[in-house]
Amino acid sequence: MTEIKNAHLTTLKGAYDTELMEATLRIRRWDPDTQRARFDTFTVTVPVTASVLDALDAIKDTHDGTLAYRKSCRMAVCGSCGMRIDGGAALACKTPMKKFVDAGHTITVSPMGNLPVIKDLVVDMAPFWEKIRAVKPYLDTKDEEVPDTEWRVAPEHGDMIHKESLCILCGCCVSECNSMESDPDFLGPAALAKAYRFVGDTRDTDTRERLRDLNGAHGIWDCTRCYFCNQRCPKGVDPRDAIAKLGAESFKEGFVRDEGARHAKVFVDSTFKGGYLRETELVPKTIGPVNAVKDIPFALQLARAGKVPNPLSPHKAKDNDEVKRLWKLLEKEAKGAERPRAQHPDAVREG
Amino acid sequence: MQERYAYYPGCLASLSQKELDSSTRAIAQKLDIELVEMPSVTCCGAGDIHEAKPDYYLHISARILGQAEQMGCETILSICNVCTLNLRQANKALQEDAALLNRINDNLKEVGAATYQGGVDIRHLLWEVSEGNGYEAFKSIAVKSLEGLKVAPFYGCQILRPSKILGFENPDNPQSLERLIEACGAEPIDYPAKVKCCGFPIVLAREDVALGELVQPLEQAVEAGADVIVTPCPLCHLSLDAWQRKAADFAGKEFGIPILHLAQLLGAAAGIEESEFKFKRHVTRLSPEVKAKLQVPSAIGTEA
Ligand code: SF4
Ligand code: SF4
Ligand code: SF4
Ligand code: SF4
Ligand code: FES
Repeated sequence: MTEIKNAHLTTLKGAYDTELMEATLRIRRWDPDTQRARFDTFTVTVPVTASVLDALDAIKDTHDGTLAYRKSCRMAVCGSCGMRIDGGAALACKTPMKKFVDAGHTITVSPMGNLPVIKDLVVDMAPFWEKIRAVKPYLDTKDEEVPDTEWRVAPEHGDMIHKESLCILCGCCVSECNSMESDPDFLGPAALAKAYRFVGDTRDTDTRERLRDLNGAHGIWDCTRCYFCNQRCPKGVDPRDAIAKLGAESFKEGFVRDEGARHAKVFVDSTFKGGYLRETELVPKTIGPVNAVKDIPFALQLARAGKVPNPLSPHKAKDNDEVKRLWKLLEKEAKGAERPRAQHPDAVREG
Repeated sequence: MQERYAYYPGCLASLSQKELDSSTRAIAQKLDIELVEMPSVTCCGAGDIHEAKPDYYLHISARILGQAEQMGCETILSICNVCTLNLRQANKALQEDAALLNRINDNLKEVGAATYQGGVDIRHLLWEVSEGNGYEAFKSIAVKSLEGLKVAPFYGCQILRPSKILGFENPDNPQSLERLIEACGAEPIDYPAKVKCCGFPIVLAREDVALGELVQPLEQAVEAGADVIVTPCPLCHLSLDAWQRKAADFAGKEFGIPILHLAQLLGAAAGIEESEFKFKRHVTRLSPEVKAKLQVPSAIGTEA
């Protein structure tokens, strides 16, 4: 152990004074040649400051050189080392090992979900990139010529897409996405957060087209609000919140035809009609009268159990006029408001 | 647990899931908790108003929170995951942004509604009775042991995630329902889908995607040998119970597993009258065997 003499260097103590610990990890292995999975358990000696990634490095160095995983920056920037730790996706380099060692707990490390496994902890990111590409992840200002000077974005405009801009494309949000498990073609949290990053960009002029595409099949209304993406994202992007913002932007632009949007609208209307939601209206208004007829046997089953409130005696909250007035007030306010736009560089120069 | 709460049942418990409301009131009475009514509240919007009209959502949430404050209540008691998350999300936004709260209060004043000063917390019934004095209080009223009843806990999403807004317990390994099931003398059954989504938010708009999610807890709970599933959320209940028929057709197999609201399970252990449970309002019926294990007398003929 190195004695640190200079008092100024005591902040570096951790780098010199390497107290060690024994870490045990159970790792899911996948051999592409034999197409077989197995679990291997390794115990390695690592510094107390080690991350899960450091422990994997120690295993690869000292136990098994064939262990496959991705890494690069080892500081939560490159987005390479996403993997499941005890079933939940996280960055291996951002997850300290010590808390598990202290608890006497052997972690299980496995590849991220919702993506095909190539080998051990390495997944095929191709479907992930395909979806990112599908949302046109670049600025479209419809400029034929590149302006001579840069666009200036006001800080408050930058703030609108700040969280979404933090994405490092690691895929952790996708790993446990419940809707993607059920519909593999769902664009998913990372691509949709990226989509909002451009829908909310005040320089982009493709807003309506972007929103139109996002309102289709496998788009924003596929999201089941399981909130796994917000829970897993290591950078605080909160993709589910970005999807909600895309929903709000869609409403502003008048994209209200999708069943998901119609569903949302019934809720809005119910608050000022009676206060509480009327499920009687929810089914036909969401899926349309034709489909609702198809669902009659099912609806009758619900009605027998008293699940369908009588449409003739609507629930009425007290003082509901307040809510109606509130709605009118906000709608008036919103009507006057225009979409915030950054000024084109040419206009800035001429003006 | 506190002695007095502003009681926000939400629309489901007020309309289609009335059995949850009556069971909750009965258990509150046993626990000696005062539930103060909130007669002028609206729906919280279930994430839908949040998504469609975020500004309106913040206003109606502030109005709900302001009413609790005016009634002199520090805490809103919620019996719905979705209400819990929605109101807590709004509360956080309002508490952290004074300018936003001011603007909303100005608007509320203009329409004659109660304003909100930021001093209310939202707690789910599950949190209040699964730890601390609430847990002790429940144990003391759990006079009947539901021995032999195998209960699969289903948490649902919005009481666990995102934990930075909810934060009651580890979202990947929650234990509160298990603790309460044990306090009832019943046996908790473990299965992976207990923390996953039931698909309810998209069951009308994207039925196939939703059913693909819904079959997982049903299938796994049945396979693990559960007699019933218990859930703290009326929306989870609605999909597990009322949409179970569709899930069964989708999966090509029968489940036939009854779904209990948390308040019904607690109520059974506390010896509450069966009439409060309103089991007739369940789409998936409770068999006489399950009722026997729940220790509720099965009056054959009046109920299937
Ligand atoms: S909230 Fe939506 S996008 Fe996020 S993980 Fe769940 S289903 Fe996927
Ligand atoms: S949103 Fe978060 S979790 Fe998803 S890819 Fe980006 S950084 Fe990773
Ligand atoms: S969650 Fe539902 S049902 Fe419950 S009050 Fe909120 S919107 Fe209405
Ligand atoms: S499980 Fe289903 S109803 Fe329950 S909180 Fe999740 S989405 Fe909601
Ligand atoms: S190695 Fe770059 S994010 Fe972990």
